Amino acid sequence: MVQSKKQKYLFLAFCLIPTFVMFSIFTLYPLFSGLYYSFFEWSGASQDKEFIGFSNYIQLINDEIIPMTIVHDYFLVAAKVLGIMVLALFFAVALTQLKIKEAPFYRIVFFFPNIMSVVVIGILWTFIYNPSLGLINSGLQFIGLEDWARPWLGSEKWALPSLVIPSVWAGIGLFMLMLMGGIANVSKSYYEAAEIDGANEWQQFWKVTLPLVWPQIKISILYIVITTLNGSFIIVQIMTGGGPNNSTHVMGSYLYEQAFVQYNFGYGAAIGVMILILSLVTVLILQFFMRRERVEY
Amino acid sequence: MKKVFKGPVLFGWIAILSLILVVGCSSDEEASSNGENSELMNDGKVNGELEIQYFVGGYGDSWWKEVIADFKEKYPDVTVTEHAGPNINEEMRSRWVSGDPPDVVYIDGAGSSETQMVEDGQLMNLTDWVKDVEVDGKPILESFIVDPAKYDGEIYSLPLVFDTWGTWYDEAWFESEGYKVPTDFESFMSTMGDIKEGEGIAPFVTTGQHPYYFLRGMLYPAFGAAGRDQLLEDVITGKEGAWTSEPVLEVMKKVEQMQKEGYIDKGFGALNHTQSQMNFLLHKNAFIPVGFWLPNEMEKDKPEDFKYGFIPSPMQDAGEPFAVVPDLRPLAIAEEADNPEAAKAFVDFVFTKEYATLFSEHTGAIMNINGVDLSENENVPSYLIEANAMINDPEQVQIYQKPHPMSADLETPISNALVSLMLGNITAEEFCQQAEEAAAEYRNSK
Repeated sequence: MVQSKKQKYLFLAFCLIPTFVMFSIFTLYPLFSGLYYSFFEWSGASQDKEFIGFSNYIQLINDEIIPMTIVHDYFLVAAKVLGIMVLALFFAVALTQLKIKEAPFYRIVFFFPNIMSVVVIGILWTFIYNPSLGLINSGLQFIGLEDWARPWLGSEKWALPSLVIPSVWAGIGLFMLMLMGGIANVSKSYYEAAEIDGANEWQQFWKVTLPLVWPQIKISILYIVITTLNGSFIIVQIMTGGGPNNSTHVMGSYLYEQAFVQYNFGYGAAIGVMILILSLVTVLILQFFMRRERVEY
Repeated sequence: MKKVFKGPVLFGWIAILSLILVVGCSSDEEASSNGENSELMNDGKVNGELEIQYFVGGYGDSWWKEVIADFKEKYPDVTVTEHAGPNINEEMRSRWVSGDPPDVVYIDGAGSSETQMVEDGQLMNLTDWVKDVEVDGKPILESFIVDPAKYDGEIYSLPLVFDTWGTWYDEAWFESEGYKVPTDFESFMSTMGDIKEGEGIAPFVTTGQHPYYFLRGMLYPAFGAAGRDQLLEDVITGKEGAWTSEPVLEVMKKVEQMQKEGYIDKGFGALNHTQSQMNFLLHKNAFIPVGFWLPNEMEKDKPEDFKYGFIPSPMQDAGEPFAVVPDLRPLAIAEEADNPEAAKAFVDFVFTKEYATLFSEHTGAIMNINGVDLSENENVPSYLIEANAMINDPEQVQIYQKPHPMSADLETPISNALVSLMLGNITAEEFCQQAEEAAAEYRNSK
């Protein structure tokens, strides 16, 4: 018995060591390195660095741009959660519950942006938004709404909302498929029972579909929040570079600018630590508010 | 005690040990690489390996290839390794950080900063050595069009490329439509008014994603014209009161006027470097401020009947000569170069009138060596011959010199405020105030 327990642990260790090594190299080491460098004044381009304690964090608290980047990040989080979840749920229900013949085709169409690189999506939408050559302004002019045409990405007012559309467009497909999986697992008998009880389609959606796909919705929301807080940097960097006049900077793009454009690598590392903490806190708060007993009928 | 090595705790120990192993390995690598470096130091002869890092942007790389091939012919015992490309500054960053840089570096393009490299002690002090270097029999320090940048009186790089930001237009289009080429700010505004009316476009474009193009291309010459070298130095170093001074406010009022008249493309804030240049080539706009790289970079996209015209940015008052503020792209040797002798030999080799002429032929730009006659050279584009002649005529053009490039810590906030001014969201006075605050912050951070 003792021998078999030992063997079991040895086997587990044998299986898990490669994972731990990889995790240490690619996650823990960069994480602790980032934390370590956040206590230095360092350009990131030489060996010359000076320990400055918490100075970078004090600067972070006093930096006027930081609150702006946090607001931008959470604006994108809210807009993406709302936009993606509403549309993904709508299409998932439509493609599973309505008898649409072309459903497989639409599934591919909606999923297509997910196989495209974010960089490509950013460039594509930059062309679409181009003030003089782009599809949107040309379209508005064509239908007689030239007063609505504007420099979408070049305006301090419109640039950030303009980033929402490509982000939502690129995200719908994946979550639609996740929700479709959830909806497909709901037994038909629930809908039959609801129908016998006199529930119309709208009521069936609210009382049957939504509660039973809640686990998928919860995971989707958490995933969108995490990927937005950590990943909206790419689309911002490609489409606006954080401008005009910082009006689209998110925490990630500001980190990049500080670390690699202004050569304040230590300060950039401190911003990275702040992003990690904010992401963790946000996810914990969300999990608290979204906790709900599993619904079973 | 046994529990410490049992169950889930065991896995925790494994993770910690793995981490120590990873950190340990990287330290060993650093140590061994430093050891190798010291062994590679040669004995003063021009031989061994020479590593050269150069950025490939609008000027292409054909000139570099030719120069390096000739160098190898002259020094057959030297093996040259080239590190080149449009992202080379980022790609080589880890080499510089780890103290194993290439021997020679051409400082240009995104991700490079001469000022930062000097501050970080990465470049070799060339002050004493350069005194003995000659260009075609004449001391190199007397052969430059513009002198090398000095940091506390010391020279760390030699200015290789003489670029200057100016304003470009389509000469063929202007001729056919009868638009006048501006000679000062007044005529600039007048021509832009004609173009706006005649073509229904905003005549002026620049990249809002990189607002420093406008700063370097339009404002520096304007500051030079308004307050000579002293004002340029004051705004670049962020001297107290410089950005709220009378001459700076007057210049900014001119920008405000351009915006209010609707001459600046409202969409400029969204445009990147290439998009703004494409807008210009497609006649969506008529003027763009960029450097000499433009024709070479956009060669494949140029409409057939397009003819490049170049003037220094016309921000000066009537009766004044154009102002030019050279933007120099230097060549430097790494402080920790493995082969400093070969590096010095290469730098010495490059600065000749022969290669300066070749540079203009290959790139459509000018090398920072005076006395190079391009006027009869059929391989040099006409705009460059005209620009070269103009730049060398003090009655037409006055050259103003900045002490060194502006630090990114100051340039970024000023550029951001500039976008707001050019979008019409703030006034010239508000811009000056914001720029002065950014300068104060910059001074305090030093």
